[in-house]
Amino acid sequence: MVDAARHPKIDVRTYTNVERVEGYVGNFKVQLREKARHVLADRCNGCGECSKACPIEVPNYFEMNLAPRKAAYVPMSQSVPLRYTIDEEACIHCYKCVDACGALEAIDFSQEDKVVWEDIGSIVVATGFNHFDPSVIPEYGYGRYPNVITAMEMERLNNSAGPTTGNLIRPSDQKNPQRLAIINCVGSRDKRFNPWCSNFCCMYAIKNAVLLKQMNPELEISIYYMDIRTPSKGYEEFYDRARSMGIRFIQGRPSLITEDPQTKNLFVHSEDVVLGKISELEYDMVMLNQAAVPQPDVDTVSSVLNITQSPGGWFMEYHPKLRPVDSPTDGIFLAGACQGLKDIPSSVSSGLATASRAGRILHSDEWEIEPIIAQVWEDRCVMAQGKVCGVCSRACPYGAIVIEEGKAASVTVAKCHGCGGCVAECPHNAITQMHFTDAQVLAQMRALLADRPEEKIFAFRCHWCSYGGADLAGTSHFDYSANERGIRVMCSARMDPDFIYEAFRLGAGAVLYSGCHPQDCHYITGQRVGATRADRLQKLFEKLEMTSGRFRIEWISAAEGDKYSRVINEMQKVIDNIPHDQLMAEIERLRPEMEKRARRMYETPGVDKALVYSDEMVQAITAKEVKSGA
Amino acid sequence: MTQKKPLIVLFQCQYCLASSLDQYWVEQELPENVKRVKVPCSGRIDPLYILNAIQGGADGIMVCGCMPEKCHYKEGNLHARRTLNEFRNFLNTLGYPQERFVFHWMNIDERGVIQPLLASFEERLKRSKDRPRLANRMLNQENG
Amino acid sequence: MEHEKGSDLRDLLIVLPGCEKLDMCFSCGTCVSRCPIQQKIEPAYNPRRLLKMIALNMQQESFTSITPYLCSACDLCYSACPQEIHISAVLNGVKKLAMQAGFSTPLKTARVDALTCVGCGFCEKVCPYQAITVKETNVPLRGKNLLIAEVDGAKCMACGTCSSICRSNSIELQDRENSEEVVQDLWSWLETVEMGAEK
Ligand SMILES: Cc1cc2nc3c(=O)[nH]c(=O)nc-3n(C[C@H](O)[C@H](O)[C@H](O)COP(=O)(O)OP(=O)(O)OC[C@H]3O[C@@H](n4cnc5c(N)ncnc54)[C@H](O)[C@@H]3O)c2cc1C
Ligand code: SF4
Ligand code: SF4
Repeated sequence: MVDAARHPKIDVRTYTNVERVEGYVGNFKVQLREKARHVLADRCNGCGECSKACPIEVPNYFEMNLAPRKAAYVPMSQSVPLRYTIDEEACIHCYKCVDACGALEAIDFSQEDKVVWEDIGSIVVATGFNHFDPSVIPEYGYGRYPNVITAMEMERLNNSAGPTTGNLIRPSDQKNPQRLAIINCVGSRDKRFNPWCSNFCCMYAIKNAVLLKQMNPELEISIYYMDIRTPSKGYEEFYDRARSMGIRFIQGRPSLITEDPQTKNLFVHSEDVVLGKISELEYDMVMLNQAAVPQPDVDTVSSVLNITQSPGGWFMEYHPKLRPVDSPTDGIFLAGACQGLKDIPSSVSSGLATASRAGRILHSDEWEIEPIIAQVWEDRCVMAQGKVCGVCSRACPYGAIVIEEGKAASVTVAKCHGCGGCVAECPHNAITQMHFTDAQVLAQMRALLADRPEEKIFAFRCHWCSYGGADLAGTSHFDYSANERGIRVMCSARMDPDFIYEAFRLGAGAVLYSGCHPQDCHYITGQRVGATRADRLQKLFEKLEMTSGRFRIEWISAAEGDKYSRVINEMQKVIDNIPHDQLMAEIERLRPEMEKRARRMYETPGVDKALVYSDEMVQAITAKEVKSGA
Repeated sequence: MTQKKPLIVLFQCQYCLASSLDQYWVEQELPENVKRVKVPCSGRIDPLYILNAIQGGADGIMVCGCMPEKCHYKEGNLHARRTLNEFRNFLNTLGYPQERFVFHWMNIDERGVIQPLLASFEERLKRSKDRPRLANRMLNQENG
Repeated sequence: MEHEKGSDLRDLLIVLPGCEKLDMCFSCGTCVSRCPIQQKIEPAYNPRRLLKMIALNMQQESFTSITPYLCSACDLCYSACPQEIHISAVLNGVKKLAMQAGFSTPLKTARVDALTCVGCGFCEKVCPYQAITVKETNVPLRGKNLLIAEVDGAKCMACGTCSSICRSNSIELQDRENSEEVVQDLWSWLETVEMGAEK
């Protein structure tokens, strides 16, 4: 930290909030609020005279409120930068500090919050985690029994720089405990509170036990656990060492802690699951390994940065295996525990990884993106004609579309990831996606459904999941109906209702609408946009009395080749079960309706050419089939 | 004359007192002047039991049951509370001072509370000038 | 050979209401230590082991174990279980299956004395388990179509609340001392201490 502060190219801004972030990769504009310290940072030399003079004492959050600090303070003596701050809420304005500071004249009570804008190339989020408050678990008595403490309090109590200079004492009587119980998974792996495993508490339980045992070999330590998780290099060996030092491991999750009202000793009730017997053991002190939970302000941070969260409140990575430190928004990276709980070695690794990812952006003058971005036909956009719309901007998971009254919508190219959601949502066909234009998709559909369409199962597949699933079905030699014809779009969000209408108009026997499972979507919320639309279509077709099963919605991952083949085979059965003349009659009946609904698409620029082109294709194909058939 | 210790009848449900030490104390080390009547649930305490204890000359009655919502039989303790509260009002009519009948909810995470509770109840009974008019009469009659 | 699906104890149970999370048990033992039964009544009582036995399809052992019969559905464990398994529902399910298979409860449940019961229905109202119904019954020596309380042995958990409310002393738990014995015991104690004090 000290090195970072001294580095000529690192500018540490403490006591500062990020309030707004605008722009895009390489060109962010960030609004910072530098909170008023009431101390001029360039004059303060960190001598601490103000703190000595200050008469006010409040609990020091850094010491887990186990020790006091003054209203003029630094949280700890190694703080970086070593500049004092006057706590506005605690200060009584006696101005003793001003006198103590004397000739330095570093204290300035007239200082106010300063708001500044900075140009930023890339952003690394490393906001870490917070601690679960175990007092909401009444059976453990935290907050009621003085000798039940949390792991964080223990970290301060056995730290030589802590409030007791490393002397472990019981809060009730300041005596050194002889028997200590450590309880794992307090609020973690508990569906009532936090379902996740907090990743590092097993290890720090062992670490603390070993440290305490080294300091005082007489201390009896028991660790209550459900499972001990020691998965990294050297961790199991450390666990072995703890066992060989005589630390007792008791398998069983305590259900109750009771306190002797006289001695303030604690009794831990648990079942020793190996024995199958209830044990009720007496301890002088109990340490709760409380769960690690997301920071209380994650929602604010996500909305300021426009990054999403995975279940639980951890920031979402671009891809869990392949791009673990990238956020879905280009130019924003995730380091450490804010992305998912990590111990120090893993946090450092992810920090170093983000540094190199961020550096790549800072060192390049240009930024390459995939050319599959969305483009607006300004003359078709109704916003330009002064009407109210903005459907596209609401569909965009990346906030890439800027809407201004009286102006056509405009796409911020660097933010667009090319899911195509906006294109499919636009009711006026005023946006197109490069390389996935309506004309191109249409040409493919017409070619594939040229011959005996009523026998065909037409599948729309998303690039990342169901297309991969279909691929896997092929490479794994899972049999599925040869009548399947499919095309690829980037995301189920791109599956325009017009495409589905057109497929049925062309006379397809059945249509599959497929994409990723909701949690697997590569475009944050793209799948949700697609799914809502698919449900709407499903209802419409029900109303039009289409035979059920002819339109089908399935979410298939790239690993589910078997599911893909099963779904196609089931759809084949649906078609087989409808008598041919009945199916033809239904197709004919629905055709005018489909045509009416898909009408607007034919007005889209380029589509006319596609029609000509596909007609040529169709002729070529039919000619070929006639030839090979002959 | 040395004042004799008040006789206390302790009705106790078999589930409260979670800690095994307290349990042991109640089972093995109860003072001589206290009689424990163990019932499956405080809901099992028949007001007739209490009447009998009073008639037999008990100076105080203590009922211990689990906290509301912690009843091992779902709501037996709530039933006990309804009935016994009603019964307590009736005690006045009998001439048995109400404060000689106490009801205590035990929480499972309390430990070492039963001993001081009994002791203070005993103290109160000793100091109480309000003698039960009914007590001992029956017994003396029978004996005499 | 793959054996028939749906015939395992676990498959039979998982479809019952409340048993959905049956497979999620960590075997952490919270339920066992939260429950007062093992500590106070029956050392062999262990819901955690029963869940394991279900997972291993140990049907015979589950049905003969004391555990499903002793659980009285107080749900102290349900509120403590980290996996939110409704243990009492599972135990109740095992009990039902066991009863269907012809096993009977080893509990000493309540019993009605038909000769004295007046059919007032107080007990029906107070029973926390709805185990009592008042029905028209023919009682030998007493008459026909009398209203008499009847205890469902599969539901009764032997708490005794019914006997405390009965005004005609007609319902009593089978195993415990009945009211008269309790009262006798009380009197004899009072007499001995009284005598001791007078001496
Ligand atoms: C009791 C305990 C003992 C542990 N012992 C060990 C151990 O021995 N070995 C080990 O490897 N790991 C240990 N760990 C785990 C270790 O603490 C974490 O791995 C590590 O702290 C994660 O680092 P981080 O930088 O991601 O997050 P943090 O350390 O949480 O840092 C996040 C920082 O971001 C700041 N911040 C948060 N929100 C904002 C915001 N909106 N704006 C500006 N700043 C913000 C916070 O103030 C904080 O300074 C322990 C954890 C606990 C709870
Ligand atoms: S790391 Fe260990 S103690 Fe922490 S939640 Fe996971 S299993 Fe429980
Ligand atoms: S408390 Fe829940 S998870 Fe733990 S052993 Fe009991 S049923 Fe299983």
